[in-house]
Amino acid sequence: MVLNSISGKHLPAALAICAFACLPLHASAASDDASAPTWKLSGFGTLGAVYADTRSADFTASVLRADGAGYTRPWSPDVDSRLGAQLDAAIGDWSGVLQVVSEQRNDGSYRPQLEWANIKYQVSTDLAVRVGRIALPVFLGAESRKVGYTIPWVRTPVEVYGSLPISNSDGVDATWRWETGSLRHATQVFTGRTNQDLQNGLRIKAEHVVGLSHSMERGAVSARLSAASAKLNTAIGAELFAVLRDFGPQGVALAERYEILDKRVTMVSAGMSYDPGEWFVTAEAGRTRTNSLLGGGTSLYVGTGLRSGAFTPYAGYAQVRADVPTSDPGLSSAGLPPPLAGAVGQINAGINSFLKTIPSQSTWSVGMRWDAATNIALKLQLERVRPHEGTRGTLINNQPDFRPDRAVHVGSLALDFVF
Amino acid sequence: MRAMTYSLRRVATFTLSLAIGLAAANASAELVVVVSSRSPVPAMSADQVAAIFLGQTGRFPDGAQAVAVDQQLGSNQRDGFYRQVTGKTPALLKAHWSKLVFTGRGQPPREVPGDAAVRRLVADNPGLIGYIDRTALDTSVRAVLVLQ
Repeated sequence: MVLNSISGKHLPAALAICAFACLPLHASAASDDASAPTWKLSGFGTLGAVYADTRSADFTASVLRADGAGYTRPWSPDVDSRLGAQLDAAIGDWSGVLQVVSEQRNDGSYRPQLEWANIKYQVSTDLAVRVGRIALPVFLGAESRKVGYTIPWVRTPVEVYGSLPISNSDGVDATWRWETGSLRHATQVFTGRTNQDLQNGLRIKAEHVVGLSHSMERGAVSARLSAASAKLNTAIGAELFAVLRDFGPQGVALAERYEILDKRVTMVSAGMSYDPGEWFVTAEAGRTRTNSLLGGGTSLYVGTGLRSGAFTPYAGYAQVRADVPTSDPGLSSAGLPPPLAGAVGQINAGINSFLKTIPSQSTWSVGMRWDAATNIALKLQLERVRPHEGTRGTLINNQPDFRPDRAVHVGSLALDFVF
Repeated sequence: MRAMTYSLRRVATFTLSLAIGLAAANASAELVVVVSSRSPVPAMSADQVAAIFLGQTGRFPDGAQAVAVDQQLGSNQRDGFYRQVTGKTPALLKAHWSKLVFTGRGQPPREVPGDAAVRRLVADNPGLIGYIDRTALDTSVRAVLVLQ
């Protein structure tokens, strides 16, 4: 399964795996205090069940899913359930990490995917460099969002994290830790590329991925600012754009506006959390731009909880607003003969069905986390999800009878574990 | 001369710990955060100690490299130490470290069983920092923070 992901386009990740396999060979050559490599196998997972009270669309955690709760089935185990396994190796200043995650994919299967595969070299106490596959450090915790145990709620807010156009980069990154007085900083820069199989016959390619993430910590306060950019290419809607280009300058202009051809995607975010132990509050805001049919939006969420023994009741609000029009008048059919005018109508409907997938949505949620043991948490969460502005929000598989601006009620049960 | 100072200090430490031991007999055990007696590190704040044990920094306040040593999971020392220094329960600490481990950013401190073993290890290495019951203090290590 790991080999599937290795192609010329994934060279750094492939390299990391090879270097990983070679680690024990270094063992005999090393003469440091840590002369034998240490190996560690760990894992995480979530067993989840989600109910949604709509029959016109599926509620899910990410757009890259086959289905969810609602239209496909009222109760779905596929929204949150996943299993991850990680192998860590370390020898002296070198370490490596290999992580595979199995969760529902766009093709409905649970075939494991390579999430992390990199080799790290600790240049000094404060500087570390990695080569291989890393998850993009955008928003407060995009890299650890799959480890349900590490977050208070059942899942990271779908409005903020659900529509990231890319989440990985195969390349290099460097993290530098420094201090100003009692404020501790970690500055991370990264560059790379990614070529991700969307498992629906399409791929999404991101080149010239560059970004910066800056974290600050002081006592109970932590904050993170991040920015990332990449050049996106994917054939989504290719047939539609080919036809559009036959309609003269007007069609070409529309194709160029929406086609995902060398489009620069940018993601910026700022987040903060205050966690003195007995309670916590966390908030973040972000903005995504693609200048394409993937749209762009501004998202934010605020969540807070009280810790009382092993129980953590919590509440939150999240929203995403499309920063671009979610409909387009499209081609003008004025003066065209009826057959052609009919075709124009179909093309315009095609464009608008894509634009309706640019999410605008808000969600109120309440829940309870129960830390049943030091590595097991049980969560119950109730949500009111409301798509706005005529879009389908973060819902998928919307049916003809789907009515936007109508709230969907979602109930989730999740058992998170780490080992 | 040196031997005499040494033994005097030992006696003093012993008397001190005896007195504290008696005074604290009906209270919960007091913990001390210790470094090697050969380490030049001065007194530290709870926040500075927490940063090292939570993997947020790899340095002592003076810039020297710092590596944390933990007591065993479930021990009173460990639970008490983290409760007082970070305000975190064992479950929150597990969540904290899971976040770092599963993003390849770090591994939790190595575990050593018991006060005596922590003291021995820390005493031998000025780069290490640990925590022990105050009654287990001796001259091989130096307290940089007292938790009460």
